[in-house]
Amino acid sequence: MRYRFEWGVLWQYRRALLHGFLLTLGLSVAGLAGAIALGILLGTGSAGERRWLRIACGGYVELCRSVPLLVHMYFWYLGLSALKVPGFWCAVLALTFYSGAFVAEVVRSGIQSVPQGQWAAGLASGLTRRQTLHSIVYPQAARIVAPSLAGIFSQLIKDSSLASVISVAELTFQAGAIEGVTFRTFEAYVGVSLLYLVIVSTISQITLFLFHRRAVDMTAYV
Amino acid sequence: MGMDFAVIWRNLPYLLEGLLLTLQTALLVILGGTALGVGLGILRTSRLPVAKQAAVAYIEAIRGTPLLVVLSVVYFGLPPVVGYRLGAYQAAVVGFTLFIGAYIAEDYRSGLASVPPGQIEAGLASGLSRGQVLAHIVLPQAIRRMIPALFNQFVRLLKFTSVASIIGVMEFTGAAMTVNAREFQPLPILATLAATYLVVCSLLSQVGRWLNLRYAIAA
Repeated sequence: MRYRFEWGVLWQYRRALLHGFLLTLGLSVAGLAGAIALGILLGTGSAGERRWLRIACGGYVELCRSVPLLVHMYFWYLGLSALKVPGFWCAVLALTFYSGAFVAEVVRSGIQSVPQGQWAAGLASGLTRRQTLHSIVYPQAARIVAPSLAGIFSQLIKDSSLASVISVAELTFQAGAIEGVTFRTFEAYVGVSLLYLVIVSTISQITLFLFHRRAVDMTAYV
Repeated sequence: MGMDFAVIWRNLPYLLEGLLLTLQTALLVILGGTALGVGLGILRTSRLPVAKQAAVAYIEAIRGTPLLVVLSVVYFGLPPVVGYRLGAYQAAVVGFTLFIGAYIAEDYRSGLASVPPGQIEAGLASGLSRGQVLAHIVLPQAIRRMIPALFNQFVRLLKFTSVASIIGVMEFTGAAMTVNAREFQPLPILATLAATYLVVCSLLSQVGRWLNLRYAIAA
């Protein structure tokens, strides 16, 4: 092993790394927001009583989960290139529709794991279906699914690295750029993966904290 | 820009070759990754603190890193450091195996946790060595309980073999994008890609469901 490490390149290219870091953060947060919104809608639909809605939501989830994220990215970037969506938003859409399907599965199983008696009690005490869903079923489901959601979220952050393929200059892209100039491939990618670790652990801690606290708050009403 | 699927028929042999490469890659990684994952999982329960710490560190490091970064490290990053040379295809197989192994090791933990400690103690008490307990009592049950989780990982792995196209492996996605670069008909090509992945993934999870029905242990 005659390789001489030069970790200094990471400091030398700190501006590029910071830029990439912020873009990855932006991609992740926008993708997360989209995936959560879509996932709650689809998950509620596929746990619902309307048959056609269940089939439609289930079919969508099956399709989007089975298609590789890279193909999702190419779909928005190349397939719909006529729309001229900027690369960043192509990546956000791809992450939303891909991860949204996973969130939907988790939401569905969360809703279904809330005992039927809770629904019956809510309706019997005069709440509408919507109110029962919002104030009785969702809070309990949230507590059940928090760990799985945290897993999906950290996956989404790491998956956002594929945006580099459609030329979004996020972290992985910057690692490639630094490598191209300095040939310090190993240092660049290891440095970048440490930055991912920072984002992933921060967001999964926040997720667990938020959902856990919310769940505890709700039990206080009981 | 209409949906003209003639482009698929024109390039069918090339695309099929890509699909075959995808399936071959997935199969190799399934075998390698399961072996690595179970190995790591066993190491983690080892009594040697060094082995245990090393396995934990490896699993955490890989699980915190995007696949594309792992692949880039294996293909571009490590060769000058360690001094070896890998083709793109080999690098993809090695990178995917190293990656999925960490996730399978995590699933092994829950499989292992489902084996009642009393059985392990009973095995040891009846004079089996630790290795024998592992081979005859723990592993058969742990692996059978792992089937659903394992097949989840396999489906995931099948999808992410598409990432190999980024380092130039002409698997299914790579082949399709090459065709697209030549003919520029993204919509029919992407629709075909999506439909094929859907079919292959559904088949794979169907196999998992069947195996699970056949071999699952009633709780």
